[in-house]
Amino acid sequence: MQDGSGRIVVQNLSKNFGQVAAVQNLSFHVEPGSVTGFLGPNGAGKTTTLRMLLGLVRPTSGFATINGQPFGGLGNPGRVVGAVLEAQGFHPGRTARDHLRVYAAAMGVPDQRADEVLTLVGLGGAGGRSAGGFSLGMKQRLALATALLGDPQVLVLDEPANGLDPEGIAWLRTFLRAFAASGRTVLISSHLLAEVEQMIDQVVIISRGQTMYYGMLEELRSRQQSRVIVQPADPQKLAVALREAKITNIQPTPDGKLAVIGATVQQIGDIAATAGVALYGVQEERADLEQMYFGLTSGQYAGQAQQGGYATPPQGYQQQPQPPQGGYQQPSGGFPQQPPPGYAPQGYQQQPPQGYQPPPPQAQQYQQAPGTPPGGWQQQGMPPQPPSGAWGAPDHQQQQQPPAGWGVQPQGAPQQPPPGWGAPQAPQAPQAPQTPAGGWEQQQAPPPQTPADGWEQQQPPGELPAAPPPPEQEQPPGQQPGQGGNA
Amino acid sequence: MGRLIKAEFRKILTTKMWWALLIPSVALAIGWAWLGGLAFSDIAAGVGDALDDANVDIDLGTMSWASLALTRAMNFATLFPMVFGALAVASEINRRTITTSFLTAPTRASVLSAKAVVYVLWGLVYGVVVAIGATIGTAIGADAEVLPETGDWILILLSGVVACVLWTLLGMGMGALLGSPVAALLVLLLYAGLVGPVMELILTPATNYSHLAGFLPNGSANGLTGSTASDLLLREAQDLVSAGGGGIIPQDAVDGFNQFTRFAAGAPGAFSLWISGLIFLGWTAIFFGFGIYRNQTRDIT
Repeated sequence: MQDGSGRIVVQNLSKNFGQVAAVQNLSFHVEPGSVTGFLGPNGAGKTTTLRMLLGLVRPTSGFATINGQPFGGLGNPGRVVGAVLEAQGFHPGRTARDHLRVYAAAMGVPDQRADEVLTLVGLGGAGGRSAGGFSLGMKQRLALATALLGDPQVLVLDEPANGLDPEGIAWLRTFLRAFAASGRTVLISSHLLAEVEQMIDQVVIISRGQTMYYGMLEELRSRQQSRVIVQPADPQKLAVALREAKITNIQPTPDGKLAVIGATVQQIGDIAATAGVALYGVQEERADLEQMYFGLTSGQYAGQAQQGGYATPPQGYQQQPQPPQGGYQQPSGGFPQQPPPGYAPQGYQQQPPQGYQPPPPQAQQYQQAPGTPPGGWQQQGMPPQPPSGAWGAPDHQQQQQPPAGWGVQPQGAPQQPPPGWGAPQAPQAPQAPQTPAGGWEQQQAPPPQTPADGWEQQQPPGELPAAPPPPEQEQPPGQQPGQGGNA
Repeated sequence: MGRLIKAEFRKILTTKMWWALLIPSVALAIGWAWLGGLAFSDIAAGVGDALDDANVDIDLGTMSWASLALTRAMNFATLFPMVFGALAVASEINRRTITTSFLTAPTRASVLSAKAVVYVLWGLVYGVVVAIGATIGTAIGADAEVLPETGDWILILLSGVVACVLWTLLGMGMGALLGSPVAALLVLLLYAGLVGPVMELILTPATNYSHLAGFLPNGSANGLTGSTASDLLLREAQDLVSAGGGGIIPQDAVDGFNQFTRFAAGAPGAFSLWISGLIFLGWTAIFFGFGIYRNQTRDIT
């Protein structure tokens, strides 16, 4: 018998359609009282998973249960689980009310329940109209009404926001939150994180039929680091002051600002005040959750999309004026060596190629630079040359060898998050599976694949990802062309 | 199960299909029986005249030839409940309402069982309505002297109703098996409306008037009504011959008479009522069984 817990368990679920592996070894569970988002790009296997959970598709292996039972063991399933799977499941000639009465009869609820749920979803006035004349949004509402007919304990919704107007989505959000708050269970799939971000607590992210992330949304959120963009009167002086305060992750931006990671606005403000540097602007930037989501799922269609994203910035970079102009090159003097008040031209003249790019934060590397410029240096000196190397390499070693593409980042691609920032780009380090972050799939059942957790790898001193990741590993977006997509 | 049966009834009654198919089936039964009544009355009159001319004192022209009109009309009209049954599952799959149907029922088998119960009842409804139509058409079209007795009349109609019920279930099984209304209708209509009858017409003479055609689905289905009418005519002929002092009709003549009347009834090579009924029931069970099996394993994507 079902245990009435309202818990959904998906365990090692796989489904092959012929040669196509739609879902591979998927495991997660959904607890009552929470809204769980089930996210992944189109074709990731979301619908197939939900349909296996609901007994509509037979798993190739593994199982899925609701209340401890497979769907077929629920007795009168309409009273336990309501599902919105598609907005097409209506006879076009049947009125909305009749449609609901058919299924009210099937699950044994009184007929007036049909009118109740119609009112609930905002279709109170349309009950007498044929479903064939409904708009997509109205059909979605009717599908939801059908799901709610049996007053179920568990709601499973597959892309329910499709076709809903913003008002409808807002309503759905409120409704599902309240539904879950009453101790019931909601599993909602979507290919858009933003669409469901505000209504979910827990998230399961899949791509190409495999789990990429499973855990609390808050945890995913907390992984993003914020950075503070400051516009000081004297960037060098501030940089030195920050470094003295052990805040070392500082990146000058080409327009003379500083991007500081690992410090709060307050800290920076205090340090600036102590150092006597005026601040003209302070702005905190957060990497978009959506970007993390892309990073986790974009392996699916790796190739052109990712490469396109990277191809753009170098162009913008080349277009940058090379000769010193204005205050542009000022920060180039190299913070560690030069005296704070030192005016930029000094540093500029010292540097062999061009003082254009910001110096590395570490003195050693800086000193090496003139003699044996690290990758990217020379390209910068020769603008016509395609700076691909300048872009490829630093992505993975951003903190150690920042020169190339460093100060350029915001300039070349103002809209895009800088490499290694929003979207995790460092290719998978082999040790990743052994050190899963909290909330990862490995905690339950170690899947064969490794989540694309490029973000984690960026924090420790990155190593050059010479070796391609193991074959079954999920491949992060930042990898070289050709590695992408074993799909 | 009671809940699901109620739901299935509501599914049918909240759409137009049931009467959209019922109207033409009645119209066709009336029209076909009418024409058949006229035609078989003419044939009966011709037979009677011929026998008179030959100074045979047995009036075969007054036998219940109109029963063949009833038979023909019923056989033709079974196409409609068959179509109705074929759409029972296939159109739910096509319209994707099957998803919700499965989500609101304990098991898939329970959905199919409830449907089977409901469609048996609807097959009965179609059968009865078609029978009434055939009766009306025959009564209008046929000469009074060739009309069968009430008991025989009802027996033919009942066998026709049984055929309607079984065709409904067979159609439902085929629809569940193929999962597509177009495919199911194409296969069923082509077979029952064209391929089956033509094949039986060719097969029976070609196999020296064997019962081979009576084993086939369409042949056995038509045998339900066709053999009933045919056997009725044989009995009447025997009575007439006996009354005329002719004794028992020789077996050769009986066989020839049976072949002729079964051809006329549209059921060449058919077995008797009961055997035809059992054979067709077997066919229905086979298709329905395959349909249920396919339905159990089908992925609803």
